[in-house]
Amino acid sequence: MATSLSSVETARVELFAASGRGKGGARALDLFSSCVDSLLQRLWNEAPAAATAGVLVALGGYGRRQLSLYSDIDVLLLFDGTIGPAEEARVRAVLHPLWDLQFSVGHQVRQASEFIELEIDNPKFLLALLDARAVTGDSALLERVSAVVRTPDARARIVDALTHLIDERHARFNDTFYQLEPDVKDAPGALRDLLAAQTIAALTDPSLLDRGPTDRVKLEEAAEFLQRLRSVVHVAHKRHRNDLLHEIQEQAAAVMGYTGGPRQQVERLMGDYFRHARVVSRALAWIRQAAPVPVGVNLVRSRNGHGIRFVDSEAAKGRPERWLPLFQAAIESGVPVADETLTWIQQRVEGCAHEAFFPTAVERDALLEFLKPRAGLYARLSEMHDSGLLGRMFPEFQAIFCRVVRDFYHKYTVDEHTLLTIRNLERLASRSVKGRERFSSLIADLAHPELLVMALLFHDVGKWRDAEDHSAESVRMAVDVMQRLQLPAESMAVVEFLIRNHTRMSLIAFRRDTDDPEMVRQLADLVGIEERLKMLCLLTLVDIEAVNPETLTPWREELLWRLYVDTYNHLTLGYADDRIEQREAGVRALIAGRPADITDAEIARFVEGLPRRYLRLFPTDVIYRHIRLSRDIRPDDVHTDLQRKGSLWELTVVTLDKPSLFSNICGTLSSFGMDITRGQAMTSPNGLVLDVFQFADHERFLELNASGQERFLAALGEAIVGSTDVAEAVRSRERGVLHRRRPGVTSTPPVIHADNQSSHRYTILDIVADNVLGLLHRVSRIISTHGCDVGLVLISTEGQRAIDVFHITQAGAKLSDQAVAELIADFPRMLEA
Amino acid sequence: MKLIKAIVRPNKVDDVKDALGRVNLPGMTVTEVRGHGKQKGHMAIYRGKEYDVSLLPKMEIEVVVPDELVDEAVAAIIEAARTGEIGDGRVFVIPVEQSYRIRTGERIDR
Repeated sequence: MATSLSSVETARVELFAASGRGKGGARALDLFSSCVDSLLQRLWNEAPAAATAGVLVALGGYGRRQLSLYSDIDVLLLFDGTIGPAEEARVRAVLHPLWDLQFSVGHQVRQASEFIELEIDNPKFLLALLDARAVTGDSALLERVSAVVRTPDARARIVDALTHLIDERHARFNDTFYQLEPDVKDAPGALRDLLAAQTIAALTDPSLLDRGPTDRVKLEEAAEFLQRLRSVVHVAHKRHRNDLLHEIQEQAAAVMGYTGGPRQQVERLMGDYFRHARVVSRALAWIRQAAPVPVGVNLVRSRNGHGIRFVDSEAAKGRPERWLPLFQAAIESGVPVADETLTWIQQRVEGCAHEAFFPTAVERDALLEFLKPRAGLYARLSEMHDSGLLGRMFPEFQAIFCRVVRDFYHKYTVDEHTLLTIRNLERLASRSVKGRERFSSLIADLAHPELLVMALLFHDVGKWRDAEDHSAESVRMAVDVMQRLQLPAESMAVVEFLIRNHTRMSLIAFRRDTDDPEMVRQLADLVGIEERLKMLCLLTLVDIEAVNPETLTPWREELLWRLYVDTYNHLTLGYADDRIEQREAGVRALIAGRPADITDAEIARFVEGLPRRYLRLFPTDVIYRHIRLSRDIRPDDVHTDLQRKGSLWELTVVTLDKPSLFSNICGTLSSFGMDITRGQAMTSPNGLVLDVFQFADHERFLELNASGQERFLAALGEAIVGSTDVAEAVRSRERGVLHRRRPGVTSTPPVIHADNQSSHRYTILDIVADNVLGLLHRVSRIISTHGCDVGLVLISTEGQRAIDVFHITQAGAKLSDQAVAELIADFPRMLEA
Repeated sequence: MKLIKAIVRPNKVDDVKDALGRVNLPGMTVTEVRGHGKQKGHMAIYRGKEYDVSLLPKMEIEVVVPDELVDEAVAAIIEAARTGEIGDGRVFVIPVEQSYRIRTGERIDR
């Protein structure tokens, strides 16, 4: 309802009168707040229209509908777009009448996007947002801004900040509420403490207000008493002051209805004040000590080490898809799931069907995230297993519950052996096993370590029945699981491969002659690419270790490692000589399954002469995509494909070979600040180049700029045809603040090794160096400067180290020993430059 | 009585065990060892870095046999463990002065 200025004036006079009579409690303040709301709504609606959407927001006491007589009217005028003259006019039209009425107004005028960005780390701002209330305008805009206080992280920070503010404020009052002239707003036990207790409970666990030494009713009584008293104090001071001075106490006692002589009246008033202050103090102290830390949606961590629990278990009842986040939060917080929560799950899990746990892609992705090997995974999986949750999620796993298989070696039941393999992997991942750093480093290099954990979880489920070869049965069961989880075909293939072959590497390492190159070749053929070799090696190691404490001796570790190294070298150094031939099985399979728009001849022409690993490296749909990209390619044509792959991006480039091509592509990526993490570069004998890079865009250039992808691909095209100075672009990026090397940060000298033996066609350069911006560009430029051509490249990273293998030639042949020596000698100097 | 000590390739242990079984020598002690003889090992390269693999993993098999079975046992081991390549290992025959069974304390003379 439209409210005139005079009616607000009247409301203020009425509140003054009510306060003077000791009736300025919650109801009176609410009425006054509503009246101010109406005025602001009218002013806002009558103001000249602004160019962008906006909202008028009440903050602080006004936001809580507790606007006191002399308190500031705290408002925020929030606009969706840039604040221009039209917005300023609207602001003036709202604020000037308030000033004319001599209201004290605390106002902020902000632009939503900038506001969130600037204030997200400011706990006082986040705290103010808790009381924010849209008075008029576009309330969705406030919703959007307020969303920042709803994240668990923000809630935890607000509680921390608030606790700090409470301590500071209490210190000003010597930490006691027994003040003879108390400040009825700020003193311990007064209004601000009451609000703090309510805020902490709201942010962590609202049920705290109903537990502990006091209850909601007593707190409401205290609130009403303190509000009324504060109103009287305001009237007595005739301004915004909250201290209940001796000279005010008699008047206050009288208007609040205390009987007896003046002295008795004051004693009774102060008696009541201390009684309420004690209630508030005790409630706040208890809530501070009992308040858990928000760690997720409806999830908190107790402060006494009891672990993670639901805030509101009713909300999780019958919603099994909300249970895995408990265990995820427990891993992230480094604590267990609370015992009572595990019991709660145990009592409810029986009736849950397995499909109820992963109804949408969100839950399925969350499972894969959960399975990443890191400290705590084994303990949380064990809790899930013991409470019956794991077996309900995966009946396949339940099949090996306490399963005993008697043999000479195994010391544990099949389920525990399985979980122990994951514990062993988790220890490797957290590098907590001394002497096993070389195996730990393999985990850091894996693109999808969660698939390895998935394979471990199901590698022995086939042992539920007595059979000669349990692997085949395990594969069958794991495939069922993965189909339910709708895993991509390539991920399923990895897990299936690992389970099917989980005993192969130990068989070769310990039972075959690993000095025999044929054995290494067989293993290399089996795994095909390094990623699978690393996974199989890790799986073998942790599987053996979980058989019994004595099985994995240093001697066995050494045998396994040597087999890994020999096979790795076979895969990375010799693969260039192993090329795809026409009509071989892999090509025939591609032709058989080809989509209608691709011809047999196109397939044959594209793959023939590429390294054979190409067929293992990419799934068929990606190979078909590459073939389409290669169509009608002419000199200086660049066909590209840029796709988001989880947290990374994948760039595919198809073009015809030319000098410095690889260096220019890498340089362009670096000049945009992209961090190349893995990749492949291949050249076919007919000069067709296929480069695939995965990279992280830490600065989110591609995501945040509408034309980002277009600009990046245009720059790439120009760089490839040689119309831009890529080296200068990289240098300019390196000079930027973000990439400048910080003083005191030491770098490890690069390791460069040349191998002229392993390949018939290529000289191979192995380069291990700090993964700094522009490394690949610089390395490939040095190679180009020496007149060498890059035939094939393998790019990988292991934590902060880059591991790159270049296959190079000079004038179409391997390099002479002298040329190798000159190239190697040049590297350290030029890398540094 | 003699102690036969054989250093063999790790993958040959099962073959040696089977061969000794065939000449009625079922008992043996097997130890994982590392060392080198003529086969000196080599430097391996992993990710551009050289590392020493001069001590090679081997298995040591120990078996105590009556004097009259020594030749047969040694022949069985050699036949089972041989590949013809450097690194096949060695067999040592060492005299045993006395032997006791711990469980009963009795002396074993053969």
